[in-house]
Amino acid sequence: MNSAGPTCWLTWPRPPLAATPREPDAAKATAQRISFSGPQARALWQPRLEPLRHAALAIELEMVRRKRIPATVLWTSYDDIGALTERARSIGLDAKPIKASLGYAADWSLEASIDDPKRLLDYAFLIGAAPLDTSIAEPAADGFEQTAIRFGYPACCAKSWADHLRRGGSDPLAGLLTCGDKTPVHAHVALAVLGLGPVRHAPCSSSCPATRERSHEFIDLGRELGFAEEMNWLDEIADWAVDASLVNGIAEVTTAAYRCTWLSDEGMPPRHGAAATRPAKRERAAAAIAKPADSADILTEIGIGFEAAGFDNPFAMRSRFSTVVWEQTAALRRAASVVHVGCGEGLLLELVSQTKPRLKLYGIEQDAAAAEAARRRVGASRPILGGSSIEALAALSRLAPEGIDLAFVDPERLGDREALAAVCAIAKSVIVIGTDRSLYRHNDIDTLAATMGLALLPGRAGRVSAALSATSGRPH
Amino acid sequence: MTVEVRPLGDKCNIKCRYCYQEGIRTAGNVPTRYDLDAIVATLDKLAEPFSLFGGEIMLTRRPDLERLMRLGFDRHGGVGMQTNGTLIEERDIELFRKYHVRVGISIDGPGPLNDARWAGSLPATRRATARIEAAIETLCREGMPPNVIVTLNRMNAAPDRLNVLCAWIGFLGGLGVRKLRLHLLEQDETEAGEGLALTAQENLAALRRLRRLEQELPSVQFDIFAEMAAMLGGDDAQTSCVFHACDPYATRAVVGVESDGRLGNCGRTNKDGVTHLRAGREAFDRQLSLYRTPQADGGCQDCRFFLACKGNCPGTAIGGDWRMRSIDCPVWFGLFEDIETERLANGQTAISRSEHRSELEAKMIAAWSIGDNPTLHSLLQQAEAT
Repeated sequence: MNSAGPTCWLTWPRPPLAATPREPDAAKATAQRISFSGPQARALWQPRLEPLRHAALAIELEMVRRKRIPATVLWTSYDDIGALTERARSIGLDAKPIKASLGYAADWSLEASIDDPKRLLDYAFLIGAAPLDTSIAEPAADGFEQTAIRFGYPACCAKSWADHLRRGGSDPLAGLLTCGDKTPVHAHVALAVLGLGPVRHAPCSSSCPATRERSHEFIDLGRELGFAEEMNWLDEIADWAVDASLVNGIAEVTTAAYRCTWLSDEGMPPRHGAAATRPAKRERAAAAIAKPADSADILTEIGIGFEAAGFDNPFAMRSRFSTVVWEQTAALRRAASVVHVGCGEGLLLELVSQTKPRLKLYGIEQDAAAAEAARRRVGASRPILGGSSIEALAALSRLAPEGIDLAFVDPERLGDREALAAVCAIAKSVIVIGTDRSLYRHNDIDTLAATMGLALLPGRAGRVSAALSATSGRPH
Repeated sequence: MTVEVRPLGDKCNIKCRYCYQEGIRTAGNVPTRYDLDAIVATLDKLAEPFSLFGGEIMLTRRPDLERLMRLGFDRHGGVGMQTNGTLIEERDIELFRKYHVRVGISIDGPGPLNDARWAGSLPATRRATARIEAAIETLCREGMPPNVIVTLNRMNAAPDRLNVLCAWIGFLGGLGVRKLRLHLLEQDETEAGEGLALTAQENLAALRRLRRLEQELPSVQFDIFAEMAAMLGGDDAQTSCVFHACDPYATRAVVGVESDGRLGNCGRTNKDGVTHLRAGREAFDRQLSLYRTPQADGGCQDCRFFLACKGNCPGTAIGGDWRMRSIDCPVWFGLFEDIETERLANGQTAISRSEHRSELEAKMIAAWSIGDNPTLHSLLQQAEAT
């Protein structure tokens, strides 16, 4: 798919370049890989990139026209070759193709096809005054330094870049990161990788004064050509902090506004030079979490006594009681006191207390060992009453003479109607809960209640719990 | 492609100690409002089925949530939803039914096994866990069993707890849960998460035990094992993103629709607290680099499982650097070996041992080099046809 993007791109750095770099058109590839740091950054900077590209191109061509440099190299697509050569001619310059590169499938125009491969390629053109000697763009190794100087490099940078190329390098960022200069990468490098901005060449170091001088010349020329606003943006960018790194042959540059990446030829050990380091781990309030207990403790914590309580396994009991609490959230919100009749080792009471810690909680459990386990689970301040249900309920009425707002009962476990009547006498609202045992037998809460002669409150019954009507359970 | 709608971005009501989104929240990059019209407009443009995601999606105002559910139902016959389950209420059950919401719930186990999914204090954590357990049981009883996502960590899958986790999964199967997704804990971001990660050996032992459990519990399926077997068989049509060639600059498998309708990336690779927007072009630099980088330098050079694994999720990369292979490599390698052995013993294809492997790798590398990403299946078909 052909985008409506720019029609030609400057290289970074300007020649001389490695003979067969992995990404011949790296600036284009990198520009397509910009990932903005957020919508505000995108809204501000995306619209500025095209004017900056336009300015960089105009300044570059003007440098050629004024013979500050003998030539430059521009990449373009097949369809835009005509426009490029025409633009060069319009300012008295010549344009000659020097190489081509298979672009990315995503950039191929809809009309392009394998049968017409020329349209799948990007083309590099040397632009300069006629007659053009195309060999200057790709000189022999012994001509790198002189060629770099001709293309506008300061002498120090020309030397370092020539050395880098002779060592088999191709990526100017790699040169910067290995130069031993501890100064952070200059912000304009973050634009250079996109083929934009005043850093045209491969600097010998981040603190190279000659590079800064050339940058000022670029910006001055830009202002002279009428790109005042664009040059002001470049001044603004100059203060950015930039992280740059090259890991396993992938380069990445990160600024506050965007990050971008490209496939480099140069593999380096991780986190070399001024590589971006991950931010220090953020401190958080230490979570005062319980140290993991062993397996037996965990099972105890999940829930013991499940068989007596009518469940298949501890997970079923915990899940069911959790569901009961969830279904009765509204009732619990209104309640100030709760009793679980037949509380076993207190899991339901614990889950209720986690939902509403200030509730007055009571448990009734005939099995002394289970009652003791319940006390340990819910704490000594929550009475767990022993003895038969009738005796315990009598004791409960003495403890809570004003009555209890909510009682949870498993009617099957409670046994006789007398006990249920006693619960109903003390509790303003009674919630019937369905265990595995009762739900296997009766299928659902409605049937369970009907079988036991209990009436549920009108309206839809819960799935595993339901409120008894005010008359249910009263002695007939 | 999974489209994840995230009206409130990474905003969440709990603070899982290992959450990969915690960096974004700590940096304060969480939206406080959203533009539902913009979100809907983007979904219209994408015209793809989508999932409701977060952070915690149930923090969204219910009328807005219902609008998104309705949109998913009207356009695609239903909608996915990933939630921590703590905020599901009775009224939501009807919404789920009405709009065919496929609910996925994250929980690491019952009660104390879920303590890494921290909610501020131990009682609050346990209360939250109880609500999740209730939501799972309720959905099962309503005939809408959720998918369950479990992250393996020291609280639920340490050697002395693994049997408890397995027993609980058996219980879930009895309740009606059919699909579980297993995640390895992402080892980054928070000091509070330190100490929760299992060693590679423990992770591998846990996954092997769970794989055996899957064979013991025919009604329960762990996505991960079937996907790994499919990848080794050269069938990548239905496998999840971690086995595909993910570009962290433009995640293909996961596209986020953010609070203002813009497209976002999968958040797993956001390691610096910044939610970067999608790049304009997808590329496969990571895979190209891993393929040629020696294993000693964090690459995948000469790994016979490369085509099946591709270095796995960049969000789990060594040192948090997406350019490296997954830190969980030893775990995936061990499992791939197990599955490879079984497939070969059963007379099935394993591309890791296929005579076509070199050819397939060369074709895939060539395709990635020009930004193309063919399916493994298509390349395998071509290779077998010649």
